[in-house]
Amino acid sequence: MSDVTFPVGIDVHEQFANADQQRHAAQLGMWIWLVTELLLFAGLFMVALVLHIMHPGSVRAAVLHFKFWIGAANTAVLICSSFTMSGAIMLSRMGWQRWMVRCMLATAALGSLFLLLKGYEYYLDYAEHMMPFVGQPYALEGDPASRLFTNLYFVTTALHGAHLTTGVAILLWMAWQAHRPGFLQARQNRIEVYGLYWHFIDLIWIIVFPLLYVVGR
Amino acid sequence: MSPLDITLRDPETPRSTLGRPPDYLHEAHTLRSWFFTTDHKRIALLYLATITAFFVVGAIAAGLVRLSLIVPNGQIFTSDTYNKLFTVHGVVMVWFFLIPSIPATFGNFLIPLMIGAKDLAFPRLNLLSWYVFIGGGLFTVADLVIGGVDTGWTFYAPLSTTFSNTYVVPALIGVIIVGFSSILTGLNFVVTIHTMRAPGMTWFRMPIFVWTHYAVSLIFLLGTPVITITLILLVMERSFGIGVFDPRLGGDPVLFEHLFWFYSHPAVYIMVLPGMGVISEIVPAFAQKRLFGYRFVAYASLALASITFFVWGHHMFVNGESNLAALVFSLLSFAVAVPSAVKVYNWTATMYKGSIRLQTPMLYAMGYIGLFVLGGLTGLFLATLSINEHTHGTYFVVAHFHYIMVGGTMLAFLGGLHFWWPKFTGKMYPEAWGRVSAIFIFIGFNVTFFPQFLLGYLGMPRRYHDYPPEFQLLNIVSSAGATILAAGYIFPMIYLIWSLWFGRQAPSNPWQAKGLEWTTTSPPPTHNFETPPTVDFAPYDYPLRTPADV
Ligand SMILES: [Cu+2]
Repeated sequence: MSDVTFPVGIDVHEQFANADQQRHAAQLGMWIWLVTELLLFAGLFMVALVLHIMHPGSVRAAVLHFKFWIGAANTAVLICSSFTMSGAIMLSRMGWQRWMVRCMLATAALGSLFLLLKGYEYYLDYAEHMMPFVGQPYALEGDPASRLFTNLYFVTTALHGAHLTTGVAILLWMAWQAHRPGFLQARQNRIEVYGLYWHFIDLIWIIVFPLLYVVGR
Repeated sequence: MSPLDITLRDPETPRSTLGRPPDYLHEAHTLRSWFFTTDHKRIALLYLATITAFFVVGAIAAGLVRLSLIVPNGQIFTSDTYNKLFTVHGVVMVWFFLIPSIPATFGNFLIPLMIGAKDLAFPRLNLLSWYVFIGGGLFTVADLVIGGVDTGWTFYAPLSTTFSNTYVVPALIGVIIVGFSSILTGLNFVVTIHTMRAPGMTWFRMPIFVWTHYAVSLIFLLGTPVITITLILLVMERSFGIGVFDPRLGGDPVLFEHLFWFYSHPAVYIMVLPGMGVISEIVPAFAQKRLFGYRFVAYASLALASITFFVWGHHMFVNGESNLAALVFSLLSFAVAVPSAVKVYNWTATMYKGSIRLQTPMLYAMGYIGLFVLGGLTGLFLATLSINEHTHGTYFVVAHFHYIMVGGTMLAFLGGLHFWWPKFTGKMYPEAWGRVSAIFIFIGFNVTFFPQFLLGYLGMPRRYHDYPPEFQLLNIVSSAGATILAAGYIFPMIYLIWSLWFGRQAPSNPWQAKGLEWTTTSPPPTHNFETPPTVDFAPYDYPLRTPADV
């Protein structure tokens, strides 16, 4: 495997003194954004945790309905996607722009696979009457705490799914930009910064999966 | 310091405008050059115009609320209209005026100048946050004014999710959108302060204004996402029946209060901390003395930003909170008084034996200190469990937080506006008018809100437009005070705009103040400094006056 090596660099914006300062600022900016994203999910995690402690029986009843194996498969899919994303970052540093684009497309494909599996899982939930808000009778009627946990499961996974969808869209857009030579010369830093975001979506799922599918099973 | 440096840093005569590069205001005049600018100074002025407009909307609603309360039996407006009016007032003032007020305007303008940077780290993101802000803000204001919402600014469940028949969801969506503007502003500030400081500008050479904005950005970043998700959950429940707060749908209404106050108590410090930064600049400049205990003030800002995340339970003392939790939250709330008092002592000690000039910014600063002390002390009353039982949900609470938010934030905002007006616009405001309106505001404010302490203590609940006749006298006094206050707000709106055309040309440093922003021209050039500054001096290096200052 080899590739044409392109020069790697960054276009310095006028407010920065040099490229290092700009790189540092961009990465710090993304880290801070991710902290706020973590806090966005933290409220939901906190409620789930409180329910685990206060109503273990109801939570267990709900958790037994969730599709453990689909969740586990999705965890594996996302971990693989983090590997391909890391590959893209490494290749971008080496200037192998074409292989980098292939890695990015693979990452986007894995992300889409996750969304497909998640959609199928929602369909199964619907079929099992585990969607209390769509008008059908709820499978665990008369157990309000489990209903809150189920609602929380939908909000959390939907919010994560929205982040993943955004992530795939940005990946495809950047891959399209990077199909022309010269991308890495001006914007290599974008790949680094974006990589942080992708790994973060993965990390959130790695918190979601045990919290909603595993603990209490 | 050599004499040359002194002339460099305190130019006494205004430099002629001939032969210097055009400043940021005169570089271009097209609408496009304003609405697509990435210059932090122009964006700050866009924010200033926007929040002033929102302030006017909120103030008109407040005036109508006070009008209604002149009579005890609620004859002037129907209950529904009254509820909608105080909701307009609360939502607009809290979410669209107080929270962005000082950070988005002065912070935006001054942080790069104060640390010697050309701009914020992400200028385009900065412009985007303004568009996000005005988009979300106008959406909600249109909804509040045309449709009306009756939940108050707190959107408590289950009223907001189940019982209210007003247009709650659009109001929530606007507030959620505006939250992103706060997050992006906070992100920009933190990155800028970390990475863009001029050579020699170490952390402990930064003005306190920058420190408090660093602290407030942390609250923006850690608190705002929590309110975002909370309000999203409200929208989900109201629109799609995904129950989180309504018990019939499996939810828990107290959960809303926990999530809401986890952000909204720190939001008080979003409003207060930047004001503290403003006061920490004004007081040394008008006492011509070094800020007393600089490091303590800096650390106190960070302390406030952290303690504030652990006191939210003091809003739920009477909502079935366990005794232990209430005790802990009460104690932690007391702890907030320590860093707050550190600041007050340090400002007072800075003034002690200073050569004080009582110009408009200093009048506001002194008013701020007095009112903040009163607001802070009544906060301690409210954090006391037994007194809270008596005053919970009464006008005592209303008076308390207005002393903090109007007596604190609003006075600091106006003080800062006068202090930096020459820097923003290159024009001096008329001093006599400035002093008159500062005095109007101080008197009007106290006449409006002090009676509310008494009303609350006597048992008048907040948010009712119907009250027993024995409360009428104090309510009339309060409403009369509001008219004085209104005059105090209207004067500056007129004379500041007047000064844009007719004001005296401002020198670079009209107050002989220290700090990098005063070393550049008024108004500054587009990239802030003609030559990039290097910092080799301590903050607030005013001349030493007495041996006690050493
Ligand atoms: Cu509070």
